[in-house]
Amino acid sequence: MIKGDKFDSFFKITDKVYYGFIDLFEDKNPLHVNDFFAQSKGFKSVVMHGNILGGFLSYFVGECLPQKNIIIHSQQIKYHNPVYLNQQIILKAEIVEVFESVNVIELKFNFEDEHSNTLAKGKIQIGIIL
Amino acid sequence: MKNNEEFNYVIKKVNAIFNDVLENDDIKINYETTVKDIDEWDSLSHIALVVSIEKSFQIRFTAKEIQDFKNVGEMCEGILLKLGNKK
Repeated sequence: MIKGDKFDSFFKITDKVYYGFIDLFEDKNPLHVNDFFAQSKGFKSVVMHGNILGGFLSYFVGECLPQKNIIIHSQQIKYHNPVYLNQQIILKAEIVEVFESVNVIELKFNFEDEHSNTLAKGKIQIGIIL
Repeated sequence: MKNNEEFNYVIKKVNAIFNDVLENDDIKINYETTVKDIDEWDSLSHIALVVSIEKSFQIRFTAKEIQDFKNVGEMCEGILLKLGNKK
């Protein structure tokens, strides 16, 4: 993997992901589980948990990159737009820094909807385990 | 090289990186400082320190160069060498 390498991954927040997240972590804030409450706050429907995108990011790092001997050192994510159930999401990532001395790679990433609107973006630093 | 102005500038900047990365403003490094002298300097923070130093000085080391540094002073000399080569 070298600086400038780009990757795209496609995701969808299915019922399995949404209800699985609630079942595992029990975040039942009304914004996430009550359509009436979410709509009263100006959203189309219940808003998906931001950390579901974190789960997709984990999948991307662990399963989609060409190397499998990888661990996450750190990550930053900023949310820009709400994500809804059954929404199609594209994760676009690019390697922006390579530190060969310590086998570290930094990527910037962007979660986008089908109209290329940014849903969330950030940076992630990964280490390659030799 | 130990006492010249450029070396002092580099080690001061490296000290600030140690304080920031290791989240301890009390850390004071000198030429002889090694990993044994700083409790917070473990294997993962070592990676963070090297990444931060390389970013800050806009240089890149090889794995061998990092392994060969016996103390902070040698690393600062290595930084100066890289900076000199960029001119």
